[in-house]
Amino acid sequence: MIVKDSAMKRKWGMAIDLDKCTGCGACSIACNQENNMPIFEDDSDVPKRVAFLELMKVTNDRDAKFPDVKTAFLPKMCQQCEGNAVGKHKADPPCVSVCPAVATDVGDDGVVSQIWSRCIGCRYCQTACPYEARVFNWWKPEYEGSFKNSLSTDVSVASRGTIVKCTFCSHIWKRERDKATANGILDINAVLYTPACASACPTGAIIFGDLNDPESEVSKLAKSDRAVRLVNTVDDETPEKQKALMSKKQYANPKVYYLTSQKWLRDMMRFKKNS
Amino acid sequence: MKKIDRKDFLKIGGGAVVGGLAGYTLSGAPFLGFQWLVEWSQDQYVPAPGIEKYVQAVSDSCTNGCKVSVRMIGNRAVKIESKDGVCPACLNGLQLLYHPERISTPMKISGKKGSGNYQPVSWDQALKDISSKMNALVNEGKANTIAAVNKNESLNGQLMEKFVRNAGSNNVYYEPSLNSITSNALGGYVKYDFAKTDFILSFGAKLVEGWGNAVEMQKQFLNWKKNNVKIVQADSVCTRTGGIANEFVGINPGTEAVLAFGMANYLITAKRMTSSGDDFAKWSQLIINKYPLGKVAKLTGVAEDKIKKLADDFAAAKNPVAVAGKGAHGVSGSSAEIIAVYCLNTLVKSGAATLVKNSAVSYTAEFAGLDKFIKEGSFSMMFLNGSDPVYKSVYGEELKKKLEKAFVVAIAPLMNDSAVYADYILPPLSFLEAETPESKPAVKALKESKDAKEIIISLAAMVDKTKNALPKTSADAYKSAGRETAGGKFSFNFEKIKADIEAYEKKLGQNAEYPVTLVPYEAPLVGDGDGLAFPYVLKSIDPSVLNLGKFYVMMNKETGKKHGFSEGSSIKISSARGKLGKAYVHLSDVVAPETVAIPLGFGHESYTKYGNEKGLNPKKIMTADVDPLTGAADWWSTRVKIS
Amino acid sequence: MIQFIKNIFQESSKNMRITLYVLIGLVVLFGIFAIQILFWGLGYTDMNNNFTWGAWIIGDLGLVALGGGAFTTGYFLYIFRVDKLRPLISSTVLIGFMCYLFTFVFLLFDLGQPLRCWFGFAYPNWGKGVYPASMLTEVFFCLSIYFCILVVELIPVVLEHKVLIKNKVVAAIAHYMHLLMWTMAAGGTFLSFFHQGSLGGGMWGVLYARPVWFAPHFFFMAIVAAMAGGTSFMTMMPYIAGKIMKKEVVPMESYQLLTKISGMIFIGYFVFRVYDVYTGIAKFAPMAQRNYFDMWGGYYGVWMLVLEFALIISALFFLNQKKYREQEKFMVIGACSGIFAIVTSKLSVLLHGFSVPNFPWKSFTAYMPTIQEWLITLGCFACMILIYMVFAKWFPLFPHLEHHEAHDESHH
Ligand code: SF4
Ligand code: SF4
Ligand code: SF4
Repeated sequence: MIVKDSAMKRKWGMAIDLDKCTGCGACSIACNQENNMPIFEDDSDVPKRVAFLELMKVTNDRDAKFPDVKTAFLPKMCQQCEGNAVGKHKADPPCVSVCPAVATDVGDDGVVSQIWSRCIGCRYCQTACPYEARVFNWWKPEYEGSFKNSLSTDVSVASRGTIVKCTFCSHIWKRERDKATANGILDINAVLYTPACASACPTGAIIFGDLNDPESEVSKLAKSDRAVRLVNTVDDETPEKQKALMSKKQYANPKVYYLTSQKWLRDMMRFKKNS
Repeated sequence: MKKIDRKDFLKIGGGAVVGGLAGYTLSGAPFLGFQWLVEWSQDQYVPAPGIEKYVQAVSDSCTNGCKVSVRMIGNRAVKIESKDGVCPACLNGLQLLYHPERISTPMKISGKKGSGNYQPVSWDQALKDISSKMNALVNEGKANTIAAVNKNESLNGQLMEKFVRNAGSNNVYYEPSLNSITSNALGGYVKYDFAKTDFILSFGAKLVEGWGNAVEMQKQFLNWKKNNVKIVQADSVCTRTGGIANEFVGINPGTEAVLAFGMANYLITAKRMTSSGDDFAKWSQLIINKYPLGKVAKLTGVAEDKIKKLADDFAAAKNPVAVAGKGAHGVSGSSAEIIAVYCLNTLVKSGAATLVKNSAVSYTAEFAGLDKFIKEGSFSMMFLNGSDPVYKSVYGEELKKKLEKAFVVAIAPLMNDSAVYADYILPPLSFLEAETPESKPAVKALKESKDAKEIIISLAAMVDKTKNALPKTSADAYKSAGRETAGGKFSFNFEKIKADIEAYEKKLGQNAEYPVTLVPYEAPLVGDGDGLAFPYVLKSIDPSVLNLGKFYVMMNKETGKKHGFSEGSSIKISSARGKLGKAYVHLSDVVAPETVAIPLGFGHESYTKYGNEKGLNPKKIMTADVDPLTGAADWWSTRVKIS
Repeated sequence: MIQFIKNIFQESSKNMRITLYVLIGLVVLFGIFAIQILFWGLGYTDMNNNFTWGAWIIGDLGLVALGGGAFTTGYFLYIFRVDKLRPLISSTVLIGFMCYLFTFVFLLFDLGQPLRCWFGFAYPNWGKGVYPASMLTEVFFCLSIYFCILVVELIPVVLEHKVLIKNKVVAAIAHYMHLLMWTMAAGGTFLSFFHQGSLGGGMWGVLYARPVWFAPHFFFMAIVAAMAGGTSFMTMMPYIAGKIMKKEVVPMESYQLLTKISGMIFIGYFVFRVYDVYTGIAKFAPMAQRNYFDMWGGYYGVWMLVLEFALIISALFFLNQKKYREQEKFMVIGACSGIFAIVTSKLSVLLHGFSVPNFPWKSFTAYMPTIQEWLITLGCFACMILIYMVFAKWFPLFPHLEHHEAHDESHH
């Protein structure tokens, strides 16, 4: 049992260094394994694929021609949006308020959760999500024969017709907390954790941690010049303009920061103006 | 007491029913009933619970032998982890362990070869049958018709080599790899000291995409970033390595060697640099005459000034290194190319490239290399040690015919395109079940699978000639593992490669019948094909490679327009060697003009139901000219026509 | 019974028979594919993780918007006492009822877990105040309550059946229900304002992270759209029925009045839609650093917008000028333009909306319903037509007609 003896201090966030990512795909395999992703004989129906992490190939051939071209890979998972959560305001991700069955919520640690057994499968949240981060079980999840042996007990197998998504592997945090609790440590903030994708990355490109802790690596990286958030255009404005815009409209404001010093890649993370 | 009449009775009864119904509804029971119906109609699988623990294992997914920890729930392995990150090949170990099509008992063929019909037999019977066949061949003096193809130079590959050589055969081959082809071209494979270099010039080597020792390369990559090492990638497709390079030099397909000739020419003539390799004088003379910078510029598509600048930068660096071996997991290149690139290292006296050998691995066999052996050799008995040459060699079809006539033994955990021609399939362990000097088995061995090393050792013990040749146990085998020794002296081998150097110009010239060039590239995780049997690999394939069952090739936008292709249109590709089935076009400018880039690793025929019938195997139509020194086909760039 | 059905077929003309066969065929196919979808899931549709909704949501949007004619007509009749609309009201209520009924059917099919549909009521997503946090929660409740009202409104039509009305009790009930109808109309109008707004527009307008939809005024525009298109629709349905039955089921002046109302509302809609496009170009797209016209592309290009405006203008032109409206031909063209303008707008909300890429390196996507989606959609429409036919034949759907027939009979 978890005893909350102090208020939540954590706000989990991620920084993904795209310049360090070689596109090896370890994060993707690890995520699939950790989260019991269904196994299909032919998973080439990409638009209906059930996977939390998509290793997106990004090239700059929108803006350049051979040989001035570049290729990068961008591991994309739920960006754990906050909306315009300022000050004491509770985070308001695009996908949470829309759910008619309260099957998805945002925790005080900032993680957008999803209760698979509560979801009615209306896919409104999927429509609301600008990052295509939510996936729907179009078919019944299958696990052929002995593959079932590799299923983890931490993540329940979803039913057909429900939405599932990356939860920053929050079950791993729970696991770590449970271990701490067993040792008599009841503080909910006592332990940190690393999601499966981050711990699998051979080049350490994925950094995970507490954004509320100014000393954490991730919060330093998030503030660095190299940080850029995917399609979150409001970031490009001056602070005054930002304030003005955010007073009129919410922005997704993800808690996943991509890091790159490549100009082309930063450009590719924005829609081209007036193209 | 008043008598209850009919009317009252009905009233009471009705009331009870109504009340009951109301109570039932308000109790929430119908909702619970619904919930139950929901669950019942779903029939979700619930993974068996158990106690969590971590155990250690040593990966054999590549020759690195990384130590990993395995998360266990009860006696099930559910995750492979390590604090230093785990590379995907190793993560796939779990999917191999629990693969539903895993072969877990020795199998004997029970139908036509290639049909995939097998029946389980006992180890005793299988080993007895195989060893008596082998004894007979040795006794008849036909020992040299016993052949083996190893997947790589791992310990069991070394044991296999020892075993077959001691039986009296010289026919031990390795699937063409960076080490095997460079070793044959240069007299030792190149040991790059990437930690010491400040300038890397790669001729199509996809340094961070699985090339060479993938684990090591990932580490080096981080060092390069830290130490500001300059990376220049010369390639005809800009893959991720091109993306991380400080400079991407786009060249026409298949002109890596010519670019190296040009740079060498410039360094020799303008910078008066020399190489200590044997035959340098003759070689340089030919290059100077045959490949003046103007011609090189025309063939490669790189401007003359740019070539000069590149060579100047290279020569000016403190410890530059030029890297040969186009490709990532699948590597190809002619010895002319490998030698030319290595020549650059000797010209600038690079301290970061030395030739070495493995004491237990000899790449010299009866034939120069595997492809030549398939093409010209013959065998009556074949050991396929984890290898899949039918799929990976451009001579796959020829090999099929030869395998049909021979007695074939495959050591393979999963069926593959070559094992399907085996008379016996012997199931090896996955690394999670294997014991090493440093770790106990993480999980119990599946049914009757055995450590590949033990399989070879027990076979050797049953063959008269090899009885005492091998270590007695796999624990002993670790002690006799090969060590790195110095390689031979670098030679240009001029007489042997002269013709090939001259042929480049013709090969790359105009070709009216086959106007465009087909080059391969590798998608993440799929590599050159081993990954495709694993469903989580299938889950990670980019839609620009395989989408809704459609297999895509990449083509430059302008070129597409010129030849009448638009995004998603279907394409048929044929070369002088044959036709490929239908593919689809993805237009992208990461590809050089007049080039079609095709993903490797697809189009398996018998690689489990996950790997089968997905995409096309371009090796079927790729050029099959066998290189005189490496004995491997130089399949990299192929002239094709498209329609 | 069999004899009865046989008679129906024998009595009908050849064209009618073919129509009946086709409609019944569609309904049967609907049944077959419905089983497939309900038991094996939505994998058989062309919807996907990017194109999350498809034909059925288009159906919902269209049906609810056009069914919105019911509350508008009811409002004018019962609250404003525009008695000329009375000959239309039964047909209107029936159509409204069916539109909502099949909206539920479509919604049910669209749920990945239809058996959990009641979660929407059991765990509603209410915000802090009275207003729900989720537009779909709003839709769930509002649509259900309004549907009940439509049922109540429909009961008199059934009760007034020649046979039933002879029963004194029934007659009394029917009479009192009629008197009460204005409360229903008022309640219906009130509710309709909410769900028309939410399902038609608010549901999309609140998606702040999807620049193609985000527009706070979308909620209100959808209400106007429903009133404008719905009234045209409520004219055309009995008109077509009359043409087929070759009888004057509703007097021309009723049509004229309703189309006039429709035309007037279309002026409002036109202005609103222009404002909508203007704010899209000048305000909302730039707020997300997008260019409004860059977001139109692929198959669902800017032609959809042009087509929609052409239809709106046609409706405006023909319905608002007396000289045209009074010619039956132009009235029909005008009303049809109005209906199609609304349908096109719903198509483009969905098709164009989903087709817009979310990532700068992706291109426009497309959607083509599978056979399952087509047949479930068409089967539902066929069902609606059949129900309408049954009512037109055996129930007092058109009091005007009954009145006349009674008149005719007395002459004999
Ligand atoms: S699909 Fe599930 S989680 Fe998403 S909005 Fe609908 S009910 Fe909520
Ligand atoms: S990325 Fe999508 S699913 Fe994740 S929080 Fe944002 S809107 Fe929700
Ligand atoms: S945080 Fe966990 S669930 Fe999310 S992408 Fe990474 S591994 Fe997958």
